[in-house]
Amino acid sequence: MATARNVIAALMCAAAVVGSPAVVFAQSPTFGVGHAPKPEELKAIDIEVTPDGKGLIHGSGTAAAGKEVYTRRCETCHGPTGQEGPQDVLAGGQGSLTTSRPQKTVGSYWPYATTLWDYINRAMPFDHPSTMMPDEVYATTAYVLFLNGIVGEHDVLNETTLPQIKMPNRDGFTSDPRPDVGASPKKRSQHQ
Amino acid sequence: MTREETSKYTDLMPDGTARQFTFDMEPKSVITRPSGGDTLAGAGRYEITGIAWSGRGTIARVEITVDGGATWVPAELQTPVLPRAHTRFQWPWTWDGREAMIASRCTDDTGYTQPPLADLIKVRGVNSQYHNNGIQVWKVAADGKITNGNRA
Ligand code: HEC
Repeated sequence: MATARNVIAALMCAAAVVGSPAVVFAQSPTFGVGHAPKPEELKAIDIEVTPDGKGLIHGSGTAAAGKEVYTRRCETCHGPTGQEGPQDVLAGGQGSLTTSRPQKTVGSYWPYATTLWDYINRAMPFDHPSTMMPDEVYATTAYVLFLNGIVGEHDVLNETTLPQIKMPNRDGFTSDPRPDVGASPKKRSQHQ
Repeated sequence: MTREETSKYTDLMPDGTARQFTFDMEPKSVITRPSGGDTLAGAGRYEITGIAWSGRGTIARVEITVDGGATWVPAELQTPVLPRAHTRFQWPWTWDGREAMIASRCTDDTGYTQPPLADLIKVRGVNSQYHNNGIQVWKVAADGKITNGNRA
Protein backbone atom coordinates (compact mmCIF):
# COMPACT_ATOMS: atom_id res chain seq x y z
CA MET A 1 0.00 0.00 0.00
CA ALA A 2 2.85 2.33 0.83
CA THR A 3 4.20 1.62 -2.64
CA ALA A 4 0.90 2.49 -4.30
CA ARG A 5 0.81 5.72 -2.35
CA ASN A 6 4.32 6.58 -3.44
CA VAL A 7 3.43 5.95 -7.07
CA ILE A 8 0.40 8.19 -6.81
CA ALA A 9 2.46 10.87 -5.10
CA ALA A 10 5.07 10.64 -7.86
CA LEU A 11 2.39 10.91 -10.54
CA MET A 12 0.91 13.92 -8.81
CA CYS A 13 4.31 15.61 -8.74
CA ALA A 14 4.74 14.96 -12.46
CA ALA A 15 1.27 16.31 -13.16
CA ALA A 16 2.02 19.37 -11.08
CA VAL A 17 5.09 20.17 -13.18
CA VAL A 18 3.53 19.45 -16.58
CA GLY A 19 0.13 20.87 -15.86
CA SER A 20 1.03 23.81 -13.66
CA PRO A 21 -1.32 26.60 -14.81
CA ALA A 22 1.37 29.22 -14.28
CA VAL A 23 3.75 27.41 -16.63
CA VAL A 24 1.16 26.77 -19.34
CA PHE A 25 -0.19 30.28 -19.09
CA ALA A 26 3.22 31.84 -19.48
CA GLN A 27 3.81 29.91 -22.71
CA SER A 28 0.51 30.52 -24.49
CA PRO A 29 -2.54 32.68 -23.90
CA THR A 30 -5.06 29.81 -24.27
CA PHE A 31 -5.28 26.22 -23.13
CA GLY A 32 -6.11 24.98 -26.61
CA VAL A 33 -9.46 23.53 -25.61
CA GLY A 34 -12.97 24.66 -26.46
CA HIS A 35 -13.90 27.67 -28.55
CA ALA A 36 -15.57 31.04 -28.09
CA PRO A 37 -19.32 30.39 -28.15
CA LYS A 38 -21.17 31.51 -31.27
CA PRO A 39 -24.22 33.76 -30.78
CA GLU A 40 -26.60 30.92 -31.77
CA GLU A 41 -24.93 28.58 -29.25
CA LEU A 42 -25.47 31.15 -26.49
CA LYS A 43 -29.06 31.66 -27.62
CA ALA A 44 -29.77 27.95 -27.34
CA ILE A 45 -28.90 27.88 -23.63
CA ASP A 46 -30.00 31.41 -22.71
CA ILE A 47 -33.14 31.15 -20.57
CA GLU A 48 -32.79 34.53 -18.87
CA VAL A 49 -35.99 36.40 -18.04
CA THR A 50 -35.83 40.11 -17.22
CA PRO A 51 -38.25 41.99 -14.91
CA ASP A 52 -40.00 43.56 -17.93
CA GLY A 53 -40.82 40.07 -19.24
CA LYS A 54 -38.20 39.77 -21.97
CA GLY A 55 -37.30 36.10 -22.32
CA LEU A 56 -40.66 34.74 -21.13
CA ILE A 57 -41.91 31.84 -23.23
CA HIS A 58 -45.37 32.08 -24.82
CA GLY A 59 -48.06 30.41 -22.71
CA SER A 60 -50.64 31.07 -20.01
CA GLY A 61 -52.16 29.75 -16.81
CA THR A 62 -54.37 30.54 -13.83
CA ALA A 63 -54.15 29.70 -10.15
CA ALA A 64 -57.25 27.54 -10.58
CA ALA A 65 -55.38 25.41 -13.12
CA GLY A 66 -52.17 25.61 -11.11
CA LYS A 67 -53.72 24.06 -7.99
CA GLU A 68 -53.85 20.65 -9.66
CA VAL A 69 -50.25 20.86 -10.91
CA TYR A 70 -49.08 22.15 -7.55
CA THR A 71 -50.76 19.31 -5.66
CA ARG A 72 -49.14 16.75 -7.91
CA ARG A 73 -45.68 18.21 -8.36
CA CYS A 74 -44.91 20.67 -5.54
CA GLU A 75 -46.92 19.91 -2.44
CA THR A 76 -44.77 17.11 -1.00
CA CYS A 77 -41.91 19.55 -0.58
CA HIS A 78 -43.69 22.87 -0.02
CA GLY A 79 -46.92 21.90 1.80
CA PRO A 80 -50.60 22.33 0.89
CA THR A 81 -50.63 26.13 1.33
CA GLY A 82 -46.95 26.74 0.63
CA GLN A 83 -46.26 27.38 4.30
CA GLU A 84 -45.80 23.91 5.80
CA GLY A 85 -42.49 22.88 4.24
CA PRO A 86 -40.47 20.74 4.68
CA GLN A 87 -38.62 22.79 2.01
CA ASP A 88 -38.66 26.57 1.44
CA VAL A 89 -41.76 28.43 2.63
CA LEU A 90 -43.43 29.93 -0.45
CA ALA A 91 -46.12 32.12 1.08
CA GLY A 92 -46.71 34.39 4.05
CA GLY A 93 -44.26 36.52 5.96
CA GLN A 94 -45.69 39.83 4.76
CA GLY A 95 -45.03 42.43 7.44
CA SER A 96 -42.26 40.35 9.04
CA LEU A 97 -39.23 42.03 7.45
CA THR A 98 -38.79 44.56 10.25
CA THR A 99 -39.17 41.98 13.01
CA SER A 100 -36.40 40.01 14.70
CA ARG A 101 -37.51 36.93 12.73
CA PRO A 102 -37.99 38.14 9.18
CA GLN A 103 -39.49 35.60 6.79
CA LYS A 104 -38.32 36.15 3.23
CA THR A 105 -40.84 34.60 0.85
CA VAL A 106 -42.02 35.19 -2.70
CA GLY A 107 -44.87 37.27 -1.26
CA SER A 108 -43.01 39.16 1.44
CA TYR A 109 -39.68 39.79 -0.27
CA TRP A 110 -39.33 39.09 -3.99
CA PRO A 111 -39.31 42.27 -6.12
CA TYR A 112 -40.38 40.80 -9.49
CA ALA A 113 -43.10 38.30 -10.46
CA THR A 114 -41.08 37.28 -13.52
CA THR A 115 -38.37 35.92 -11.22
CA LEU A 116 -40.86 33.41 -9.84
CA TRP A 117 -41.66 32.16 -13.35
CA ASP A 118 -37.94 31.99 -14.15
CA TYR A 119 -37.07 30.06 -11.00
CA ILE A 120 -39.88 27.52 -11.34
CA ASN A 121 -39.01 27.15 -15.02
CA ARG A 122 -35.32 26.52 -14.45
CA ALA A 123 -35.18 24.82 -11.06
CA MET A 124 -38.50 23.24 -10.01
CA PRO A 125 -39.64 20.63 -9.20
CA PHE A 126 -36.32 20.30 -7.40
CA ASP A 127 -36.00 16.59 -8.20
CA HIS A 128 -37.09 17.00 -11.86
CA PRO A 129 -36.13 20.54 -12.92
CA SER A 130 -37.09 21.89 -16.34
CA THR A 131 -39.63 19.16 -17.03
CA MET A 132 -42.77 21.34 -17.02
CA MET A 133 -44.52 22.78 -20.07
CA PRO A 134 -44.77 26.61 -20.27
CA ASP A 135 -48.50 26.53 -19.38
CA GLU A 136 -47.71 24.51 -16.24
CA VAL A 137 -45.03 27.02 -15.28
CA TYR A 138 -47.51 29.91 -15.71
CA ALA A 139 -50.15 27.99 -13.74
CA THR A 140 -47.91 27.11 -10.78
CA THR A 141 -46.54 30.68 -10.81
CA ALA A 142 -50.13 31.92 -10.62
CA TYR A 143 -50.89 29.48 -7.82
CA VAL A 144 -47.91 30.58 -5.68
CA LEU A 145 -48.91 34.23 -6.24
CA PHE A 146 -52.51 33.31 -5.34
CA LEU A 147 -51.32 31.68 -2.09
CA ASN A 148 -49.70 35.04 -1.31
CA GLY A 149 -52.87 36.99 -2.06
CA ILE A 150 -51.24 38.73 -5.04
CA VAL A 151 -53.48 37.47 -7.87
CA GLY A 152 -57.03 36.14 -8.02
CA GLU A 153 -57.90 32.51 -8.64
CA HIS A 154 -58.97 33.14 -12.26
CA ASP A 155 -56.53 35.88 -13.26
CA VAL A 156 -54.82 34.78 -16.46
CA LEU A 157 -51.04 35.03 -16.38
CA ASN A 158 -49.13 35.09 -19.63
CA GLU A 159 -46.06 36.81 -21.06
CA THR A 160 -47.92 40.15 -21.10
CA THR A 161 -49.79 40.12 -17.78
CA LEU A 162 -47.09 38.53 -15.59
CA PRO A 163 -44.58 41.42 -15.86
CA GLN A 164 -47.36 43.89 -15.00
CA ILE A 165 -47.85 42.47 -11.52
CA LYS A 166 -46.47 44.77 -8.84
CA MET A 167 -45.01 42.66 -6.06
CA PRO A 168 -45.75 43.89 -2.50
CA ASN A 169 -42.08 44.50 -1.66
CA ARG A 170 -41.16 46.02 -5.04
CA ASP A 171 -40.20 49.35 -3.43
CA GLY A 172 -38.36 47.79 -0.51
CA PHE A 173 -34.96 47.83 -2.19
CA THR A 174 -32.18 50.40 -2.04
CA SER A 175 -28.88 50.46 -3.90
CA ASP A 176 -25.78 48.93 -2.32
CA PRO A 177 -24.02 51.69 -0.31
CA ARG A 178 -20.96 49.65 0.59
CA PRO A 179 -18.27 50.25 1.65
CA ASP A 180 -20.28 51.46 4.65
CA VAL A 181 -18.22 49.86 7.44
CA GLY A 182 -14.46 49.41 7.54
CA ALA A 183 -13.54 51.60 4.59
CA SER A 184 -10.80 54.12 4.63
CA PRO A 185 -12.65 57.38 3.78
CA LYS A 186 -10.06 58.73 1.37
CA LYS A 187 -10.44 55.70 -0.90
CA ARG A 188 -14.20 55.58 -0.78
CA SER A 189 -14.84 57.50 -4.02
CA GLN A 190 -13.11 54.82 -6.08
CA HIS A 191 -16.10 52.54 -5.70
CA GLN A 192 -18.95 54.88 -6.39
CA MET B 1 -33.53 38.48 -12.99
CA THR B 2 -32.91 35.26 -11.16
CA ARG B 3 -33.91 34.26 -7.67
CA GLU B 4 -30.26 34.23 -6.55
CA GLU B 5 -29.76 37.80 -7.76
CA THR B 6 -32.95 39.23 -6.28
CA SER B 7 -33.65 37.16 -3.19
CA LYS B 8 -30.22 35.93 -2.09
CA TYR B 9 -27.67 38.56 -3.20
CA THR B 10 -29.68 41.29 -1.51
CA ASP B 11 -29.08 42.23 2.11
CA LEU B 12 -32.02 42.74 4.47
CA MET B 13 -31.48 45.66 6.86
CA PRO B 14 -33.05 46.08 10.32
CA ASP B 15 -35.52 48.70 8.97
CA GLY B 16 -36.98 46.15 6.54
CA THR B 17 -35.41 47.60 3.39
CA ALA B 18 -32.94 45.50 1.47
CA ARG B 19 -29.82 46.46 -0.43
CA GLN B 20 -29.69 45.33 -4.05
CA PHE B 21 -27.65 43.87 -5.70
CA THR B 22 -24.84 43.13 -3.31
CA PHE B 23 -22.39 41.11 -5.34
CA ASP B 24 -19.01 42.37 -4.05
CA MET B 25 -17.39 40.40 -1.28
CA GLU B 26 -15.48 42.88 0.81
CA PRO B 27 -12.11 41.94 2.30
CA LYS B 28 -12.33 38.93 4.58
CA SER B 29 -9.85 36.69 6.32
CA VAL B 30 -9.96 33.79 8.69
CA ILE B 31 -7.36 31.85 10.66
CA THR B 32 -7.73 28.24 9.57
CA ARG B 33 -5.11 26.79 11.91
CA PRO B 34 -5.35 26.68 14.82
CA SER B 35 -9.12 27.23 14.73
CA GLY B 36 -12.44 26.22 16.25
CA GLY B 37 -12.52 22.52 17.13
CA ASP B 38 -8.74 22.21 17.45
CA THR B 39 -7.04 21.57 20.79
CA LEU B 40 -3.52 22.84 21.42
CA ALA B 41 -1.28 20.31 23.18
CA GLY B 42 0.20 22.89 25.56
CA ALA B 43 2.22 26.07 25.73
CA GLY B 44 4.79 26.41 22.97
CA ARG B 45 5.33 27.48 19.40
CA TYR B 46 2.54 27.29 16.83
CA GLU B 47 2.35 28.61 13.30
CA ILE B 48 -0.83 30.62 12.85
CA THR B 49 -2.03 30.35 9.26
CA GLY B 50 -5.15 31.21 7.31
CA ILE B 51 -6.52 32.79 4.15
CA ALA B 52 -7.55 36.31 3.15
CA TRP B 53 -9.37 37.52 0.04
CA SER B 54 -11.08 40.58 -1.41
CA GLY B 55 -13.73 40.80 -4.10
CA ARG B 56 -12.51 44.28 -4.90
CA GLY B 57 -8.82 43.74 -5.41
CA THR B 58 -5.61 42.42 -3.97
CA ILE B 59 -4.78 41.71 -0.35
CA ALA B 60 -2.23 44.30 0.76
CA ARG B 61 -1.78 43.34 4.40
CA VAL B 62 -2.88 40.83 7.01
CA GLU B 63 -2.43 41.45 10.72
CA ILE B 64 -2.73 39.06 13.63
CA THR B 65 -3.82 39.67 17.20
CA VAL B 66 -3.50 37.21 20.06
CA ASP B 67 -4.90 39.56 22.70
CA GLY B 68 -8.41 40.14 21.37
CA GLY B 69 -7.54 43.12 19.20
CA ALA B 70 -5.53 45.23 21.66
CA THR B 71 -2.37 44.87 19.56
CA TRP B 72 -1.78 43.70 15.99
CA VAL B 73 1.33 42.40 14.24
CA PRO B 74 1.85 41.91 10.49
CA ALA B 75 1.64 38.38 9.12
CA GLU B 76 3.69 37.12 6.21
CA LEU B 77 1.85 36.69 2.88
CA GLN B 78 2.58 33.64 0.79
CA THR B 79 3.18 34.48 -2.86
CA PRO B 80 1.79 34.79 -5.45
CA VAL B 81 -0.66 37.40 -4.16
CA LEU B 82 -3.29 37.80 -6.89
CA PRO B 83 -6.40 39.96 -7.19
CA ARG B 84 -9.67 38.31 -6.05
CA ALA B 85 -7.75 35.22 -5.03
CA HIS B 86 -7.31 33.47 -1.73
CA THR B 87 -4.07 34.64 -0.19
CA ARG B 88 -2.42 32.51 2.47
CA PHE B 89 -0.81 34.16 5.46
CA GLN B 90 1.26 32.89 8.37
CA TRP B 91 2.76 34.07 11.60
CA PRO B 92 4.79 32.24 14.26
CA TRP B 93 3.08 32.33 17.65
CA THR B 94 4.47 31.40 21.02
CA TRP B 95 1.55 30.48 23.23
CA ASP B 96 2.12 31.07 26.93
CA GLY B 97 -0.61 28.62 27.95
CA ARG B 98 -3.06 31.26 29.13
CA GLU B 99 -6.47 32.08 27.61
CA ALA B 100 -6.02 33.95 24.32
CA MET B 101 -8.28 35.56 21.73
CA ILE B 102 -6.67 35.17 18.32
CA ALA B 103 -7.82 36.75 15.08
CA SER B 104 -6.68 38.00 11.69
CA ARG B 105 -7.66 41.20 9.92
CA CYS B 106 -6.87 42.06 6.33
CA THR B 107 -6.61 45.22 4.25
CA ASP B 108 -6.89 45.27 0.46
CA ASP B 109 -5.30 47.60 -2.07
CA THR B 110 -8.31 49.97 -1.94
CA GLY B 111 -7.37 50.74 1.68
CA TYR B 112 -10.36 48.91 3.17
CA THR B 113 -9.68 47.13 6.47
CA GLN B 114 -11.87 44.27 7.65
CA PRO B 115 -14.05 45.49 10.54
CA PRO B 116 -14.98 43.79 13.83
CA LEU B 117 -18.22 41.80 13.54
CA ALA B 118 -19.90 44.06 16.10
CA ASP B 119 -19.33 47.11 13.86
CA LEU B 120 -21.06 45.35 10.96
CA ILE B 121 -23.99 44.27 13.11
CA LYS B 122 -24.43 47.81 14.44
CA VAL B 123 -25.08 49.09 10.91
CA ARG B 124 -26.52 46.07 9.10
CA GLY B 125 -28.24 43.99 11.76
CA VAL B 126 -28.03 40.20 11.65
CA ASN B 127 -29.93 39.31 8.48
CA SER B 128 -27.33 39.92 5.79
CA GLN B 129 -25.15 36.89 6.33
CA TYR B 130 -23.97 36.58 2.71
CA HIS B 131 -21.59 39.48 3.23
CA ASN B 132 -20.45 38.91 6.75
CA ASN B 133 -16.83 39.91 6.33
CA GLY B 134 -16.32 40.66 10.00
CA ILE B 135 -13.19 39.67 11.88
CA GLN B 136 -13.34 36.03 13.04
CA VAL B 137 -12.04 35.59 16.57
CA TRP B 138 -11.03 32.22 17.98
CA LYS B 139 -10.96 31.74 21.74
CA VAL B 140 -8.09 29.58 22.98
CA ALA B 141 -8.89 28.34 26.49
CA ALA B 142 -6.17 27.60 29.03
CA ASP B 143 -6.69 23.86 28.43
CA GLY B 144 -5.96 24.41 24.72
CA LYS B 145 -9.54 23.96 23.47
CA ILE B 146 -10.49 26.41 20.71
CA THR B 147 -14.01 27.75 20.19
CA ASN B 148 -15.77 30.56 18.33
CA GLY B 149 -14.55 33.74 19.98
CA ASN B 150 -17.20 35.87 18.26
CA ARG B 151 -19.72 34.16 20.55
CA ALA B 152 -17.68 34.55 23.71
C1 HEC C 1 -38.27 17.43 -4.17
C2 HEC C 1 -38.65 18.59 -3.41
C3 HEC C 1 -39.25 19.79 -4.16
C4 HEC C 1 -40.29 19.78 -5.06
C5 HEC C 1 -41.10 18.60 -5.56
C6 HEC C 1 -40.49 21.16 -5.40
N1 HEC C 1 -39.60 21.97 -4.74
FE1 HEC C 1 -39.50 23.99 -4.84
N2 HEC C 1 -37.85 23.95 -3.63
C7 HEC C 1 -37.27 22.81 -3.11
C8 HEC C 1 -36.03 23.17 -2.46
C9 HEC C 1 -35.07 22.20 -1.77
C10 HEC C 1 -35.88 24.56 -2.62
C11 HEC C 1 -34.69 25.42 -2.17
C12 HEC C 1 -33.61 25.25 -3.20
C13 HEC C 1 -32.37 26.06 -2.95
O1 HEC C 1 -32.32 26.87 -2.01
O2 HEC C 1 -31.43 25.92 -3.76
C14 HEC C 1 -37.05 25.02 -3.33
C15 HEC C 1 -37.31 26.34 -3.64
C16 HEC C 1 -38.43 26.80 -4.30
C17 HEC C 1 -38.76 28.19 -4.53
C18 HEC C 1 -37.93 29.37 -4.05
C19 HEC C 1 -38.31 29.76 -2.64
C20 HEC C 1 -37.50 30.91 -2.09
O3 HEC C 1 -38.05 31.67 -1.30
O4 HEC C 1 -36.34 31.08 -2.45
C21 HEC C 1 -39.92 28.22 -5.22
C22 HEC C 1 -40.66 29.45 -5.68
C23 HEC C 1 -40.34 26.85 -5.44
N3 HEC C 1 -39.40 26.01 -4.85
C24 HEC C 1 -41.47 26.47 -6.14
C25 HEC C 1 -41.79 25.14 -6.43
C26 HEC C 1 -42.87 24.76 -7.31
C27 HEC C 1 -43.83 25.71 -7.98
C28 HEC C 1 -42.85 23.40 -7.38
C29 HEC C 1 -43.72 22.49 -8.20
C30 HEC C 1 -43.68 22.74 -9.63
C31 HEC C 1 -41.75 22.94 -6.51
N4 HEC C 1 -41.14 24.03 -5.98
C32 HEC C 1 -41.46 21.61 -6.30
C33 HEC C 1 -37.77 21.54 -3.18
C34 HEC C 1 -38.82 21.15 -3.99
